[in-house]
Amino acid sequence: MSTTTEIDLANPAPAKPAKARSRRGLRANATLNFWLFTGPFLIGLIVFVFVPMGWSIYLSFFEARFTVSPSSFIGFDNYKAILDNPDFTGSLVTFTVFAAFIVPTTWALSLGLALLVHRIRFMKAFFRSVFFLPTAVSYVAAALIWKMSIFNGVRFGMANTILSWFGVENVAWLANPDPPWYWLVIVTLRLWLQAGFYMILFLAALQNIPAELYEAAAIDGAKPGWQTFRYITLPQLRATSTAVILLLLIAAYQAFDEFWNLLSKATWGQPPLVELYKTALGENQDYGQGSAGAVILTLLILVITLFQGRIMGFGRGEESK
Amino acid sequence: MSALSNNNWSRRSLFRAAAGMTAAGTLAACGSNTGRGSGSGDTLVQYFHAYGEAGTEQAIKRYAKAYKDANVTTQWITGSNFENKLFPALLTKNAPDVFEFHPQLQLVTSGQVADLSDIINPVKDDFNPADIASHTVDGKIYGVRMIDDPQFFYYRPSLFEKAKVEVPQTLEELIEAVNKLTTDKVKGAFLGNDITPVQNPLIWSAGADTLNAKNEIAYHTDAVADGLGQLRKLFTSGNLLLDAPADWWDPSAFTQGLTAIQWCGMWAMPVIQKALGDDVGIFPFPKVGSAGKFSVTNGGWSMFVNAKGDNVDAAKEYVKWLWIDQKKYQEDWALSYGFHIPPRTSIAQSATKLKSGLPAEGVKLFSEYGHFDNIGWTQAMIAAINDVIANSVRKGGSPDAALSAADKKVNAELKKLFG
Amino acid sequence: MTTTAPDLGKTPANAKKKRGGGVIGNTGLYLATGVAALLFLIPFYLIVRNALMTDPEITGENWKWFPTDIQWGNITEPFKDETVDFGRALWNSWVVAILHTSGILLICSLAGYGLARIPYKHANKVFYGVLVTLMIPTAVTFVPSFVLVSSLGWVDTYRGLIIPGLFSGFTCFLFRQYFLGFPKELEEAARVDGLSYWGAYWRVVVPNSLNFFAAMATITFISGWNSFLWPLVIGQDPSAWTIQVALSAYMTNQTVNYHLIFMSTAISILPLVLVFLFLQRWLVQGIAQTGIKG
Repeated sequence: MSTTTEIDLANPAPAKPAKARSRRGLRANATLNFWLFTGPFLIGLIVFVFVPMGWSIYLSFFEARFTVSPSSFIGFDNYKAILDNPDFTGSLVTFTVFAAFIVPTTWALSLGLALLVHRIRFMKAFFRSVFFLPTAVSYVAAALIWKMSIFNGVRFGMANTILSWFGVENVAWLANPDPPWYWLVIVTLRLWLQAGFYMILFLAALQNIPAELYEAAAIDGAKPGWQTFRYITLPQLRATSTAVILLLLIAAYQAFDEFWNLLSKATWGQPPLVELYKTALGENQDYGQGSAGAVILTLLILVITLFQGRIMGFGRGEESK
Repeated sequence: MSALSNNNWSRRSLFRAAAGMTAAGTLAACGSNTGRGSGSGDTLVQYFHAYGEAGTEQAIKRYAKAYKDANVTTQWITGSNFENKLFPALLTKNAPDVFEFHPQLQLVTSGQVADLSDIINPVKDDFNPADIASHTVDGKIYGVRMIDDPQFFYYRPSLFEKAKVEVPQTLEELIEAVNKLTTDKVKGAFLGNDITPVQNPLIWSAGADTLNAKNEIAYHTDAVADGLGQLRKLFTSGNLLLDAPADWWDPSAFTQGLTAIQWCGMWAMPVIQKALGDDVGIFPFPKVGSAGKFSVTNGGWSMFVNAKGDNVDAAKEYVKWLWIDQKKYQEDWALSYGFHIPPRTSIAQSATKLKSGLPAEGVKLFSEYGHFDNIGWTQAMIAAINDVIANSVRKGGSPDAALSAADKKVNAELKKLFG
Repeated sequence: MTTTAPDLGKTPANAKKKRGGGVIGNTGLYLATGVAALLFLIPFYLIVRNALMTDPEITGENWKWFPTDIQWGNITEPFKDETVDFGRALWNSWVVAILHTSGILLICSLAGYGLARIPYKHANKVFYGVLVTLMIPTAVTFVPSFVLVSSLGWVDTYRGLIIPGLFSGFTCFLFRQYFLGFPKELEEAARVDGLSYWGAYWRVVVPNSLNFFAAMATITFISGWNSFLWPLVIGQDPSAWTIQVALSAYMTNQTVNYHLIFMSTAISILPLVLVFLFLQRWLVQGIAQTGIKG
């Protein structure tokens, strides 16, 4: 993708075919070395990720209430039950719509911030810090600020105070789903917490675009601004965009904290994970059905990721070797 | 990027040192257990949810310390995290030996809680019969009630007078009162941010019940549907306090003057009286429909013994000692912090704090209109009715359709529990 | 980049707009950035405002943008609270976040390197196995995880808080992407000198990748510091609570003590702000080197 021939660390060339000289001696112990490097990680991954995952899959075929060592095998009944549960299937639909909205929005906001910070010369580090700092705040703390100070429904809430200057009545942001103001609360919270991290990814990618490209474009008569953005910046950011969208999609389906903290006892805006949490942990302690839902959700995310990867060509080139 | 190749030596050694420290740190951490110490004799762990009233945590720990036959540790767990912590813990060997909860049939059927009949039977007659009934399955008693917590409406008589409003007798009157009481600064009423605290009173006040004696659905009546419709009107009137920073169990909204009426528990009475003096009264949930009657929720907390724990007998001994034998502590627990009604008749009768004034009125509402826990009414069913409130009152869907959706879930649960 | 190239385009009007130049362009740029920055700072301002106010002022009839009397005494209040050992929680969070970060960097960087650079024929299959773990919703598999960790006797220990979180598929993935782009020439030179994979890794690869390690350290430290559900369940005893668990104890306690909640929030965020201000210079550079850019 790069037009530069120079090799530098910031912009490394794709892997070249290795020279036979160095390969020959190393291949013999490559297998051993592979396991030496990846062994500790893989052992941990098996113990702490795959074993619980396998356990979950096992549980999904059993009647497992108040126990994780069940004895009554019930086949696919848990799957049938959870797919017959309108709350769960509804949450999958809601979150497909939510993802279709939040993914492009977060993408655009973080790219926009990155472009601003990238072009700025004065106080660059300051602005970069300001946009990234929210990443350092936990969902617990952020939900607290949003719920208690900005969007509480009483007269001393900040949003309601500002609205009252314009003679608008107090709004019950979270309690009343009609009009659905709760989305405003959740989306602003999510954007505030997440945009900074993706901005950094874009900022890094912007640094990697060779200046020569812009110079060449200018010589060819491209208008600085929209034209160079459309024909140089955007295509150069394609790989980063793909990765960001992938991460955002996974994050949208795994959304949990802010919904759990902000929308209590609601039937709207419930992500799949909140529904599963209610099934497995909160109220029912039905680990069998919760696990069945988790398996379905994992498969769904997997399919969407593969699909998105196909369309946008994520990781191609690197894995083709 | 040229900085990268500089100074390799010092950076490399720094990194190595860091890596070495990590390994050492992990090992050191392996040796240190920040948890319980190992003492001689039986060690018991008890779980409590964090009560809001000052001094409660110290009190529970003080009682535990006074017990000589075992070393009892207390886990004091914040409100909304309690179930998140209790239930996963019950699946493991780090489970509590003794924990507080509400009576729920599935705890009994899954063999989670131990039969406490042998320690309760000798003093059975001294307990409020309703509290015994709500913990009994097939003649066996599975938990000891510590406190009964009636929940009702608090109101400000001065604001009622100013708005020329009487204490409401029916839901219509309540709605009218709320509308009249609302001003620029003060909302008419606070029923909790999600309105679910009044879901059961609404059912009872409409002359229905959650389940009938045969454990069948009893909440799905026309009167309940009408009541939900009226609540919807109240919800959309703009006169309800919504999205308050502190929810219904905390009297802040009421004491800070954000609302003229609030649904809350008797536990908050000392705090409310301290803040508002004499300017406070209470009333039950008003009648809904023509066959309606007043109602009050008699909530509360009970002690259970983990039947799957290692020390079931020692745990039972401890529960017997504290919640059956030590009447002084039981009285202290019910009356010295927030106000609760002691389930032991002998303690309740001698409690001077509950004999006069507002507390006495609270006791009257408790015994005349109170509805106790139904052990067959489980979390899944409660959640189903939460959804009814969300869909019909907050979202404005048809109450009957919402109740029918709940019927499906409740019936599925009933089938699992009773076959 | 800022110099104007001769305009060979079709419309002469193009020549007027210079990249990054022009008073209006610059003003617009700074105005937009400034407004965005202000919006992003509002929540931080609110935390500090509430932390330094009295409760009646926070919930007063009228909104106040600044405390009338700054309550400096609030700063020490979280540490005096009898029911929540705030200092201990702060200490635990530091220990956990530091060990979590160092452990992840060590384990995941090795694995990422192995997956990216050691020619083993099934490496890609192993990599796909790692990728799958990114899709698993952790909040749901966490009951079996908890039962497992508990059966190891790790409840209420640093081990239980740290070790299960060390095997992050995401971090391993990022390291692999980064090492894929690491110049082969450097390693090959080292191997010609007789170094093994292990030797080349520690003597050549790591010292030349410190930017990226710093970037990963920042992200990992933040996620370690902020994790909540796992420490909540593992920390049965208050002595094993982290700062997030302590914070949630204030949040849901039945009597709301606003200034205390916000002061402890401020104190919980402060270390991260410091860590970030210190490390941010490397963050962008480090990420600029990931394979994430393709």
